[in-house]
Amino acid sequence: MNSMLEDFGEALADRNGYQLAQTLSPSLPDETLRGIFKSCNAHDVRLILQRNIQRSFPGMMDKNTNNEVQAWVEVYHCYWKTIGEILAIQDSSANGKSSQWAQSSWTKVYQNWHEMLNVLIRGYLNSHFEAWTIPCLYVAGKHLRIFAIKADAERNSSSSLDTGGANFEDDFNPESEKNKQLEDCARQLNRVFNLCLSDRSPLEESRKWGIYYVINLLFKTYFKLNSASLSKNILKALSAGRGDMPPLPAFPKSQQVTFKYYEGVLRFLEEDYAQAEHHLTEAWNLCHKDAVRNKELILTYLIPCHLLTTHTLPSLKLLEPYPRLQKLFLPLSNSIKKGDLHAFDLALLEGEDEFVKRRIYLTLERGRDIALRNLLRKVFIAGGFEEPKEEGAKPVRRSRIPIAEFAAAISLGSQETLEDDEVECLLANMIYKNLMKGYIARERGILVLSKSGAFPGTGV
Amino acid sequence: MATSYPATAAHGAVTGLANHGTASLTSPLSPAPAYTPVQVRQSFGQPPYPTTTYPVPHPYGPHHVPPPLPMTNNYAPNGTAAAPVVAQESPKKKIEWPDSVRSYVQRSFLPANLDEAVSRPEMEAKLKETISQANDSGVMYTINWETMPLPQQMIKEERARARALPQALQSVQISPPVAARPKSGSKKRKSSELIDNHLNTPTAPWRAPARLEDRVTFNADKRQPAEEPSPPSKNVSKFQKQMEKRQKRFDGGYTSTYRSPSPPPSNGPVVGTCTTLEKRYLRLTSAPVASLVRPEPILRQTLELLKRKWKKEQNYSYICDQFKSMRQDLTVQRIKNDFTVEVYEIHARIALEKGDLGEYNQCQTQLKALYQLGLKGKPIEFKAYRILYFIHTANRTALNDALADLTTAEKGEKAIKHALNVRSALALGNYHRFFRLYNETPNMGAYLMDMFVARERLAALCNICKAYKPDVPLRFITEELYYESDADAAQFILDYDGRHLLEERDGNIVFLTGKAGQLFEAPKSAAFARVDIKGQI
Repeated sequence: MNSMLEDFGEALADRNGYQLAQTLSPSLPDETLRGIFKSCNAHDVRLILQRNIQRSFPGMMDKNTNNEVQAWVEVYHCYWKTIGEILAIQDSSANGKSSQWAQSSWTKVYQNWHEMLNVLIRGYLNSHFEAWTIPCLYVAGKHLRIFAIKADAERNSSSSLDTGGANFEDDFNPESEKNKQLEDCARQLNRVFNLCLSDRSPLEESRKWGIYYVINLLFKTYFKLNSASLSKNILKALSAGRGDMPPLPAFPKSQQVTFKYYEGVLRFLEEDYAQAEHHLTEAWNLCHKDAVRNKELILTYLIPCHLLTTHTLPSLKLLEPYPRLQKLFLPLSNSIKKGDLHAFDLALLEGEDEFVKRRIYLTLERGRDIALRNLLRKVFIAGGFEEPKEEGAKPVRRSRIPIAEFAAAISLGSQETLEDDEVECLLANMIYKNLMKGYIARERGILVLSKSGAFPGTGV
Repeated sequence: MATSYPATAAHGAVTGLANHGTASLTSPLSPAPAYTPVQVRQSFGQPPYPTTTYPVPHPYGPHHVPPPLPMTNNYAPNGTAAAPVVAQESPKKKIEWPDSVRSYVQRSFLPANLDEAVSRPEMEAKLKETISQANDSGVMYTINWETMPLPQQMIKEERARARALPQALQSVQISPPVAARPKSGSKKRKSSELIDNHLNTPTAPWRAPARLEDRVTFNADKRQPAEEPSPPSKNVSKFQKQMEKRQKRFDGGYTSTYRSPSPPPSNGPVVGTCTTLEKRYLRLTSAPVASLVRPEPILRQTLELLKRKWKKEQNYSYICDQFKSMRQDLTVQRIKNDFTVEVYEIHARIALEKGDLGEYNQCQTQLKALYQLGLKGKPIEFKAYRILYFIHTANRTALNDALADLTTAEKGEKAIKHALNVRSALALGNYHRFFRLYNETPNMGAYLMDMFVARERLAALCNICKAYKPDVPLRFITEELYYESDADAAQFILDYDGRHLLEERDGNIVFLTGKAGQLFEAPKSAAFARVDIKGQI
């Protein structure tokens, strides 16, 4: 306890927000936590805190300072109580007692921590705390989310406690019962977001500097709650207030990368692949070279983006450091390259569960168009050249191709027999999507391809 | 051991009742006299409250001082859940529980036997009751534990009975079939209350005063008065009158924010006592009132009535209203069983038929959760609808979730396979295949597909117009896009100002695709942009 408060005094003197936040971290070694908790009891904790914290404020005790001291005492008191709850859980699990009797301890931890966040928010709203202390909000928010997830997991695994007592809905809501705590957490984080957003102080001492950390935390929570679409509200609020916001590049790089990543994924989910590619590429470029896991995450969405926007596939060299991505994308990408429809279908089926889980299935599926394009292109090339009309003229590829030839290729490639009308439908799609230039002359049963660049972007 | 027990047991039961009495006295909202239940003691007949005969800790009980939260694991056959149940039984002298009892407890908590409708505390209370009664009456070693119904079954049966005999609280004389009934002194009365006995107790199990939490937790009685079974007591009916009065004040248009002095959160769901079959839907603004809620047996009759009415009258606004009130009654009573599934399924189908997608979606969301509980119904049929629905609403996120929700086996089922094929055909722009699938939609999926077929036709027309030059026979359009007739196809084109694209040639109509240009593009984008559905999540 003493060393914690010494650190507090030091951080306060240096105006070092991160050091200050460190004193509020609940993820310390066990002995440290225990030491802090054991150094006082429920009766004297306030007194001890009061005395020590006051000492960190040299000089006159005016009304403002006194308020700040009181606010910190409240914060650390909540912190102390939370630690007590965490230790209680460890004790009960160490003693082998079933958590049945521990009465949802993580929920209690969550509640105490939530209380601490409340005190912090109140402190900021009443301007007891200065903006340099915002890392405290980071710690509070980060762990609130962690505790919420733990509390939900604990409640769901223990008995089916029916909690929907004061619920007047016509239908029950299974999702919200499952994620009760995390949903509350999202609401709290939203408060913190608004706390940062609405600060009107000059930029140098504005809480606005905390905004991207909180946004990233919120995005993470929304994704976990399966309601990523809520993130759009945040982006909207952000762009509305962008005028008097410090520019993104002024924030720590880690926050930039995360933010860009989420922004990209959100666009990706809305099928705005051009924007998605833009944001993800930025994230990719900013990402630390050793952050393999993060790079892997970015590539998971950037590769499908590229497939759709530029019809390009990842090179082996790019995938080399990521065995997981190789497994994910190589079979597909090989089959697309070869124009092997059957192999493509198999690869898609093979990876379906994983693709669906990562929400890239519906995007990758469209890679079949590219595979088909490559197959049709082979047919076109196999058709060879027309008889030259005059000596020495540049050879011209045969551009009037019977539909039947494509039908044969598609049937071979996909290993299923298609009706001619369906083949025509696929060709029409190629043309419509600008993957192929030409037109179908149905009456004559041929496809007339453009003499210049029948397959745009592929060199023929 | 067994000899020392009956006395304690009787004591325990009595204190148990008294406990309950005082408990309800402390309830701020219950003007019911605390001692009504004590009357029971005068005749040792069938108690109106489920009596528990295992020892309840009481201040003057010399026999045992069970700690409120016993942590002894000695008797726990499977460590965790069963431990408190059995341990609670242990008096100072340790009892060797026979293996048969242990395996019975174990069997009760097997995941396969767990029932969503019965909460764990309820089960534990019931187990405790059962076992201690057997022990008290000395039949613990003779009872065939293997054929003993599981606590969850007992509870469910109890509930069913509670609903079946709402008013029959007085003296239900039912002779228990189990033979092990020592008929000695009156003290032994408790021991006679074996399982079959409380099976007949017409009181809901969560009203049992025996639950551990009731004694441990600080708020002695959280039950809300609204749940009191309409007893002979005058005071309670007075209370109900007050409630009704309050209700009327509500209907009378007091501001909607007004709330009756909100009762403390109820300990269990309300159990309805209403016996009218039909009920108009009203959104709840306060805790439900038992007298206005229909219990499951009534709701079952309601469903039959509604099915008949729907067949005969086809009055959707009436049916929808009635189904909504049924769903509400089910929800407030937290009835989640096969019947619940049936109600939602039927409402979903009717809503589909009438194109009420908002209502349909609500049902679908519930059904998804209900199927996840492992309840019976038609999950295949409805999962297929779900996919089609998300295709219609172009909700990619939800579609992805719906895909993630399917097992490999389900993907092979006809209806789901069909829906998946529809989805992939559309994703790849394969209108040819899409319209073939449209023609062979199983169940009621066509109602959903009807919703987006027009827009897919527009998309296909855009495609065809760009790809085919200079023209195609109208017949081709009719067949590819699955119109009923050439006239229908022509009409569709005319509807989008395509008169100039139709030309008669040698007695056939041709569609001048080459001249269409961007004609269908704008309507297509509009059709895809506008998917806004009430009730969409």
